[in-house]
Amino acid sequence: MNKARQRHPREHTWRNAPVIFEVARATFLRNVFDAFIVFVVLIQPLIIALIAIWMLRGGEEGDTIFVVVGSGMSGLWSSLLFITGGSLSWERSRGTLEMIVGSPSPLWVIVTGKIFAQVAQSAVSMFVAYVAASIVFRQPLTIALPGWFGASLLATLLGFVSFGLVIAPFFLLNPAIQVWNNGLEFPVYILAGFLFPVALLPKWTNPLSWMLAPYWAARALHSAAQGKDMSHILFSIMMLFLVSILHIYISRFLFRKVLKKARVDATLGYQ
Amino acid sequence: MKTIRSGRSGSPAYRICLQNLRIFIEGAWLSYVALFRWLSPSAYIAAKVAMPLSQMIFFTLLGMYAGRAQGPEFFFVGNSVHVAAVSGIFGVTMSVSGERNSGTLSYLIGAPANRLIVFVGRAFFHIFDGIIGAGIGMIWGLIILPVNFPDAKPVGIALAILAAAMSSSALGLILGCLGLLTRNIWFVNNTVYFLLLFLCGSNVPIDNFPPWLQVISRMLPLTRSILSARMSFDGAALNSVMPELMIETTLGMGYMLVGYALFRAIEVRARSAGSLEAI
Repeated sequence: MNKARQRHPREHTWRNAPVIFEVARATFLRNVFDAFIVFVVLIQPLIIALIAIWMLRGGEEGDTIFVVVGSGMSGLWSSLLFITGGSLSWERSRGTLEMIVGSPSPLWVIVTGKIFAQVAQSAVSMFVAYVAASIVFRQPLTIALPGWFGASLLATLLGFVSFGLVIAPFFLLNPAIQVWNNGLEFPVYILAGFLFPVALLPKWTNPLSWMLAPYWAARALHSAAQGKDMSHILFSIMMLFLVSILHIYISRFLFRKVLKKARVDATLGYQ
Repeated sequence: MKTIRSGRSGSPAYRICLQNLRIFIEGAWLSYVALFRWLSPSAYIAAKVAMPLSQMIFFTLLGMYAGRAQGPEFFFVGNSVHVAAVSGIFGVTMSVSGERNSGTLSYLIGAPANRLIVFVGRAFFHIFDGIIGAGIGMIWGLIILPVNFPDAKPVGIALAILAAAMSSSALGLILGCLGLLTRNIWFVNNTVYFLLLFLCGSNVPIDNFPPWLQVISRMLPLTRSILSARMSFDGAALNSVMPELMIETTLGMGYMLVGYALFRAIEVRARSAGSLEAI
């Protein structure tokens, strides 16, 4: 018997697809009217876009589209951070986290479904930032390479899901982790170069940026929106895929380790 | 000494004053400590160091990227003073609205204590907390960011931070009352916090706004304290920033009175409708 045949059936990702879909559907329906999520997905990116646009007023159109794309991405990251952690804390506070962990579907499958829903919902941020900028500037904002932009956006959504899978296990460890949400929001805005290039940062921070899927996502989207060289966009998308695969492998490892620790320490029901 | 004290304690007015002071201090401290039930060094670092510092660095770098007339100093001062609003808005809001979530609102309403004392007490320690938060943010920013203030006037800066903490806490009292009416208080206070980042001159000079937006901006807490802090960092004398700080303080008092009136109105409505614990 080879090793692949010895794997438990529930470990096969494709068999988990219906679970991921159902969790995503349930999460989306629960989140869609949640006022805090509306804030994170719509209001916050809109205000950040307004601040940045006002700061950049008088600049070139390239600056504006950079801000529009960047503030949309800030909404993607904030919702991923707050809602992924929030949804696990929500399960914990209602005493359902232990049941979810004990269910036949692996926890990472359920979390993937939750993250898919959140990322899909927060993709609206990008659209909102675009419309807001158009209204403020009263001029159409042009995406230089719409086809590449669409491809980059799809890759971005996958990249954010994989990144969400890396951060989710930490929220299982202890509810106190959630207080770090606020402290982690802006550092990723900075390191991923959502609203300004990472060239402004000290050189030693560059490797940190390279390890983040949002950095490559931002690079791909900004390049496509500004009409940069196609090889530049393609390289960013490929790196995004590579980093995303790495994130997924890291997350599988983290899920195993963290779940074991949470069971040993009996902190899954800890409030 | 003993004779004097016993003589004074006989005065009803003195006893009431002493009692109110005790209620004010104890109530303020307990509500502050209760709010921070999760208080641990890591949680405090996350809320008071990591978040304000990263916010400050983000907007300063964004400002440097924008490359307009303002240098990094403009964004450093604006955002470091704005940090005081973290305690003022989020802390005070949760102190007031948390009474309902914790099921203690009926005890608060039923207590014979002076309402104004109880209400204002909810903001008291958050003012100090806001000052500490802004101070920590400022120190970190001075260490990390490329800013230089050779002529800074510390007294003016300290008073500007105090005014910012007071006025934002007063706004927090209003938001806390709204938290007694709605379940979605996190939506409300986050929206207000970010709107203040936009409208108070933290990151955009208010002179750049259209006139109607400038009027709104000048009626908000923080606007004048940020302006005063900028002037003090640039070396302005205390007497030239005092008028702005006085207006900011008066605005804060106004916000506090509006919050108190709202609190009393909610109390009356809750008593008559029997909806004290209804969320």
